[in-house]
Amino acid sequence: MREYDFSFHAFIQGIILIGFALLMLWFVLSGNIVYYIAPKMMPFVYFGLVTFFILGIVQVFRSTKKNDSSGAACTCGHDHRIPGPPIVKLLIYSIFILPVLMGFVLPDRALDSSVASNRGMIYGSGNSPSADAAQEAGRQTEAAETAEEEQSTADEYLEDPEGYMESLEADTSGTGEAPSPDEMDEHFTVEDFYDQEGFDQYYVELAEKLKHEDVITVTEDNYLDIMTVMDVHLDEFIGKDIEMIGFAFREPDFDDHQLVAARFSMTCCTADAGVYGTLIESSHAKEIEEDTWIHVYGTIKEGEYNGYRLPVITDADLNEVEEPDSPYVYPSFRF
Amino acid sequence: MKPHQVRAFGKDLIGMGLLLLFLILFLFSDRLSSTQYIQDLPGAWVNVNTLFLSIVIEAVPFILLGVFVSAMIQIYVSEETIQRYLPKNAIGALFPAAVLGAIFPLCECAIVPVVARLVKKGMPLHVGVVFLVAAPILNPIVFASTFFAFGSNWTHPVLLSRMGLAFILSIIIGFVLYMLFKNTRQLRAQAQSLTDHAHNHEHNHTHSSGGKPTFMTRIKETVYHAVDEFFLMGKYLILGALIAAMFQTFLDRSLLQTIGANEYSSTLVMMGFAYLLSLCSEADAFVAASFPQFSAGSLIAFLVYGPMLDLKNTFMLFAYFRVKFVIAFMITVTITVFLSILFVNRFVLPNWYMWF
Repeated sequence: MREYDFSFHAFIQGIILIGFALLMLWFVLSGNIVYYIAPKMMPFVYFGLVTFFILGIVQVFRSTKKNDSSGAACTCGHDHRIPGPPIVKLLIYSIFILPVLMGFVLPDRALDSSVASNRGMIYGSGNSPSADAAQEAGRQTEAAETAEEEQSTADEYLEDPEGYMESLEADTSGTGEAPSPDEMDEHFTVEDFYDQEGFDQYYVELAEKLKHEDVITVTEDNYLDIMTVMDVHLDEFIGKDIEMIGFAFREPDFDDHQLVAARFSMTCCTADAGVYGTLIESSHAKEIEEDTWIHVYGTIKEGEYNGYRLPVITDADLNEVEEPDSPYVYPSFRF
Repeated sequence: MKPHQVRAFGKDLIGMGLLLLFLILFLFSDRLSSTQYIQDLPGAWVNVNTLFLSIVIEAVPFILLGVFVSAMIQIYVSEETIQRYLPKNAIGALFPAAVLGAIFPLCECAIVPVVARLVKKGMPLHVGVVFLVAAPILNPIVFASTFFAFGSNWTHPVLLSRMGLAFILSIIIGFVLYMLFKNTRQLRAQAQSLTDHAHNHEHNHTHSSGGKPTFMTRIKETVYHAVDEFFLMGKYLILGALIAAMFQTFLDRSLLQTIGANEYSSTLVMMGFAYLLSLCSEADAFVAASFPQFSAGSLIAFLVYGPMLDLKNTFMLFAYFRVKFVIAFMITVTITVFLSILFVNRFVLPNWYMWF
């Protein structure tokens, strides 16, 4: 067997660890971390960054100790050699170097509409499922029940806020994932109603407040809240003006004048991102290219997509805008 | 210079070159990624990159946490201590073993050699099995990562079912294997002489230096252990993240919907993924959360089955235990997890809201 050069491997490992630290530092310094990680996870990123630097430096120092033969200074006898012939070792280290290289070389960009179409758009607050979810719902035995429930969610809430909230809590779809078959009758996402007690106060108050505003302005901070309120209290908002920002997205079955202003909602990282969209009707919708960011100003009316009732922004003015600083929206956690 | 000096110099050069490369990338990343060639990359690959880095950056702090705790336990807690607290009655030991497994945050690759060592030292085989399947799931770090991955919700069905099933199933699996093997010796002959074999991951806590190690030595050992363990398991996470990122970008949604819609096939598919991806239990929740097309039940299957049994720990099991035992173990785990998920799908998830 070839001699295992502990010193060399400790050196390489130390440098790879420093590489990880540098990558994370770069993301934090450039602000590009917003494309990858939700703000509330940042403490973990800082922990990782600092730990990688420390481990990397320790590891480089470890490598300078010559002839640590017996398998490291770690006297527990636990053997952690990188196994295999040199080619395998090279491959294993390449795996670790890969994310560092990709992180530095490839552009940092937010997810776009191709992922959106893969994930399936969630219209409104997720109250109305996407086409696929609707099809799936159709396969369920409680399909009829589901449809009925769809139409009466608001009523149901007004009649029995307590029970309604409990059923919302049952939803598994933290990030807009398709709920399990038995839960298809619940399309709200957990974060929309994260704080059970806060629901009636918070959303009813918000609805009340929004009703008295001339124009509803949707921002990054209130995006998911307003989507929820509009879904639950749609009747009260018909005829009101609204403005919002989103990236352009089209379902394959859209007409020329139809468009979606979409936002990704991220809970922790992009892997869990769900796509929220608001249906737009505008005569110049066809001039907008997919994935361009648009500012939308229009009037809310009641619409329908795939058999579900949802708010539609009609006669919309569409203006191309720059991508916002925070391309994603985040569920508001009120711990 | 003598040949070995040349080689040493060459190795130093490789390391320095790598460091230099990282520093250059760090300083010029902006300029690099704005070059025309990079900008012209197909959007789908940029999405893969975004998803991949996102999963890695997200999971890595949790991996580090897990690796640290695991390293500390390996250095500060001896097998004798664990043994002392186990009842002598075979069946009676199952429950406390699961509880004990719960407070030992060792992931599925770290636990295999520990269990092999414990069994060698005289711990009953089935108690070791309980450890083997309970410890990688039932621990604070996995709880925390699952909690964060699934919307920071204490009552999330995936979080609670994962923990509950891990506890119950570990006892059931331990019991089944006790019925099959009783207290027969199932360690491979090779495992009897662990110390001689370089590729075995052996744990020997009788510190060779003899005297009591100082505090600083222990800190150093913990850090070394943590780094080694990070390199031992990190590659599985990075590859898993890459596969998951490509999966998310390229896989046709309608295909998944077909698989995901069926209770049986979605559970089996997710168990298959869990096995192949070989994710570390500390980070797999983030990958599970990235499969929005699958039902809660099949995600629970992914999160329960993967830590108990996956490609990488299968290799390790075969290295330590007899083939017959490993196969029986794999079959038992697979069937138990599958049946329990069917049960959860039918009876637990539909009534979830009644409990919370």
